[in-house]
Amino acid sequence: MKLCATSSVKAAPWLFLAPFLLIFGAFTAWPLARSLVLACQQTFGPTNTVFVGLDNFRFLLTDPLFWTALQNTFVYALSSVTLQLPLALGLALLLNRPSLRGRTLYRLIFFSPSLVGLVFAGIIFSIIFEKRTGLVNVGLHRLFPIFDLDFPWLQNYVMPALILASLWMYVGFNMIYFLAALQNVPRELEEAAMIDGANAWHRFRHIILPEIKPVTSFVVLLSLIGSFQLFELPWALLSGPGPENRGLTIVMYLYQTGFLTNDLGYASAIGWVLAVILFTLALTQQWFNRKETRS
Amino acid sequence: MGIWIIGLIAIISTVLVFFLPRPQTQGKSFWTFAKPLYENYQPVVTRWNETRPPEERINMVHLQLQALERRLMSSFLSGTPGPDLVEVERATAGQAFRGGPQDIGLSDLTERIRKEGLLERINPPSLALWTRQGRIYGLPHDVHPVLLAYRADIVEAAGIDVSEIETWEDFSRIMAPLMADRDDQGRPKRYLLNLWETNTLAIEVLLLQAGGSLFNSDEQPTLDSDRNVHVVATLVSWIAGPARIAADAPEYTASGNSLKLQGFVIASVMPDWLGGFWKGDMPSLSGKLKLMPLPAWEKGGLRTSVAGGTMLGLPKAGRNPDLAWEFAIHLYFNPDVAVAFYGKTGIIPPIPEFWSLPAFNAPDPYFSGQPAGQLFIQQAPYVPARINSPYYNFSLACLTNAVGAVKQRALDENNFSSDFLSKTAAQELAKAQAHVRRQMERDLFVDKKE
Amino acid sequence: MNNSSNSTTSSPSPSARRLLSHTLIHSVLILAAIITLIPFAWLLASSIKTSADFFTSVFLPTGTGWGGIAWDRLTLVHYERLFLELGIARNLLNSFFISSVTALGATLAASMGGYALAKFRFTGSSIVTSIVLAALIIPAPLLLAPGYLFIYQLGLLDSYTGLLLPAMAPAFGVYLFRQAIWNSVPDEILESARIDGAGEFRIFFTLVVPLMRPMIGAFLLITFLGMWNNFIGPQVIFQSPELFPLSVSINQLKGVYSQDYGLIMAGTVISIAPVLCLFLLLQREFISGLTAGAVKG
Repeated sequence: MKLCATSSVKAAPWLFLAPFLLIFGAFTAWPLARSLVLACQQTFGPTNTVFVGLDNFRFLLTDPLFWTALQNTFVYALSSVTLQLPLALGLALLLNRPSLRGRTLYRLIFFSPSLVGLVFAGIIFSIIFEKRTGLVNVGLHRLFPIFDLDFPWLQNYVMPALILASLWMYVGFNMIYFLAALQNVPRELEEAAMIDGANAWHRFRHIILPEIKPVTSFVVLLSLIGSFQLFELPWALLSGPGPENRGLTIVMYLYQTGFLTNDLGYASAIGWVLAVILFTLALTQQWFNRKETRS
Repeated sequence: MGIWIIGLIAIISTVLVFFLPRPQTQGKSFWTFAKPLYENYQPVVTRWNETRPPEERINMVHLQLQALERRLMSSFLSGTPGPDLVEVERATAGQAFRGGPQDIGLSDLTERIRKEGLLERINPPSLALWTRQGRIYGLPHDVHPVLLAYRADIVEAAGIDVSEIETWEDFSRIMAPLMADRDDQGRPKRYLLNLWETNTLAIEVLLLQAGGSLFNSDEQPTLDSDRNVHVVATLVSWIAGPARIAADAPEYTASGNSLKLQGFVIASVMPDWLGGFWKGDMPSLSGKLKLMPLPAWEKGGLRTSVAGGTMLGLPKAGRNPDLAWEFAIHLYFNPDVAVAFYGKTGIIPPIPEFWSLPAFNAPDPYFSGQPAGQLFIQQAPYVPARINSPYYNFSLACLTNAVGAVKQRALDENNFSSDFLSKTAAQELAKAQAHVRRQMERDLFVDKKE
Repeated sequence: MNNSSNSTTSSPSPSARRLLSHTLIHSVLILAAIITLIPFAWLLASSIKTSADFFTSVFLPTGTGWGGIAWDRLTLVHYERLFLELGIARNLLNSFFISSVTALGATLAASMGGYALAKFRFTGSSIVTSIVLAALIIPAPLLLAPGYLFIYQLGLLDSYTGLLLPAMAPAFGVYLFRQAIWNSVPDEILESARIDGAGEFRIFFTLVVPLMRPMIGAFLLITFLGMWNNFIGPQVIFQSPELFPLSVSINQLKGVYSQDYGLIMAGTVISIAPVLCLFLLLQREFISGLTAGAVKG
């Protein structure tokens, strides 16, 4: 269709943006605004709503279940990120060696667990971590006979089980990022360092680590944000929050209050707390980055 | 290439989705959740459907328990498709019973029950569970008395006579020799009771047996009552510490079943419905088990309890309630059906006039030839009553957590004296009570009695 | 390495050292690979074992067959049951349907939006860009409750539309495409095309899209994967079982048949196999798209 050049160019960007903006406006922006009001209401399903002001937030402050969820989520996020990233980086360093055979195969293998949905991984691990008959206990017992065959992963050691599961799932995923970053490190820098007599550790600390810093901080932020929204893995692993709510996470509590107790208002309030936490995380990371680049 | 693959998938799947018919079911839908019940209703449903025109046929759907609750509540609150007839378990009825009479999504069946003269025919405690403020919202399916199932093969081989056991103290004392065998780490190879701190079922059973309760008749929480404190302290002494007699062999897991088969635990609390599950999951225990009344908490005390409960309800939004009611009566008040159910699931009906039927007196090979039905029926009149509050599950969970907390503190301080346990239990239950009370007070939708 | 002058006769030669480090590295990698693959192998093995055999052996039942494995005791009965009795084909279809449609729709919307932001100067472009960037921070769970409320009000609960429509506006995608188009599409071709009189949409589909092929491929796959594994969305929006994708139905399967491990494992195999196959075929596109935003941008 041949329109007058200037007007078609003027309208064009809006036409291109239209699908996104319409759907975004309807299903992201509008619910976001609505959630501010919703967080100040108590509901029983979508039709019974009562305005309660800041009562939801006041209750949150003293709600033992919420604090349990908060604690569990923090512990999970910090532990799993702290453990995942060095492992991912380590694997990436190993795979980055120029003379390595089978790199594509290794990459494929390590990345594949992240394709498994969290729900499916939870189901798989709920059977693998079973006492006495599960793969983990049987295997560890065979390798180390002093290991208790009845080790109660899913009863008393829920957090370690979750962290191990998350390691299996995401180390390979994060490794891909690190690998790409490592492959972008200019070879000349490393070679120059080698000629200068720097050993491997030295090269790592002073050349590689600074070069991959942007990717590292990206991966850290991405992993933290993802970990804080953990829900499906413990939900499928424990068929609920688990014994004594050991597997309760923030998003799980949000789901329970919003869709099992049917209080959409309280769920929105929890959602806002989560948003504030994540926003603070992102800001903190930005601040760190700026400090680093300035120094 | 990815673009083409995904494009192809999209086109094919879209075509299939829109041209494959969504299963259109004629007739009325009946939702149920318990697999043994579903299987046992099948022949009844089939026979009914054979003699009815299509729009009067019953289409029975089996849903998982939580899924049923979610979908039922969604149909009440958000208008998504719901059933015409639904079986609801006590544990999931809480949400459905939250509001006042005008809010409850189930029809008030009081008049129907009264008109058909069913009120007198039903065991009163069974009916009480589904009654709120004098209105009855469901036809009860069961009584669910609780007995103690024990490994008769092991017990009798050790020369122990269970008829001497009247109280839990007798139980610990008389069965103690069975715990003498130790493994190389000094732990008993065998425990007397299947109980642990997150076993909500057994904790509830024992609490109710002892006369403890979660709510008073005004539906106010009573978690911190003296009786509850006593129960919690005692239970903790059973599951940990020097006087420990209990260990965990959970239901519904392979590891738990293998432990039970091994005889890792001698006795388990056995509601009538659990027997049906055991028969299906552990057929090799047949002939090795026997039933006895629960040892009482004090001499002369109650020797049974109650666990679970199912009702049949008619959602207000259901179609053709008269037909649904007719089928409900047919399903629940038919002696042949009741006998067949008992045969497959071990569940006794809440209708006393059926209890004298010979089938309930028949020897049960699984329980070494004992007349299991009769044994449960004998306890049926004494089954403790429960108040069905929407916060029942929540309170039970808080109480269970309190048990775990007391156990942990006793372990931390290595103090299992009854003084310490009682004091700690009182503290933990006070906390639990406060939690439940706060949660109930903030709820603007639960129907508060004036 | 530091070739110090005081090397003793007992220090290994450089080539031996290299061999040692080589072996060490491969050992570590192989160990890691084995640990990664064990759950998959176990999953597959469990899905073809009978219930009776489930606990007799860790992987495949031992017996007198080739390699010490009882091949004759392996069975496909779980898969048969899933397809013939439990209707998993419908769930599989639903997963394919919602994942592919979302992928296509989201990619279209995101690429168009990214193009507009990258290649057009117009009033409001900076506002829209800021909105997109801000939206990256909104956590999905925050929108769960109000989104459900809105979808209820639109009458779209328990319908495919209720799940698909909201999923077609990924801010993340707009951001990715904006970066990619900015970097890879020279302004000159667009200008010359406009001078030649081509319409805007024609320019987009015939010039921009072909240049963006790798990014499009990668984003399609990422979105497909995300929706395939999405549990909470369908769980909340869908109530009728004929709409359930595999994520929801397999989770329910576990609730109902909690002890039929073979059945559950077979269901899980069916749930992850298609995505693994897709990845096998398209791994390069996938990984390049995944890292595009992080490494370059």
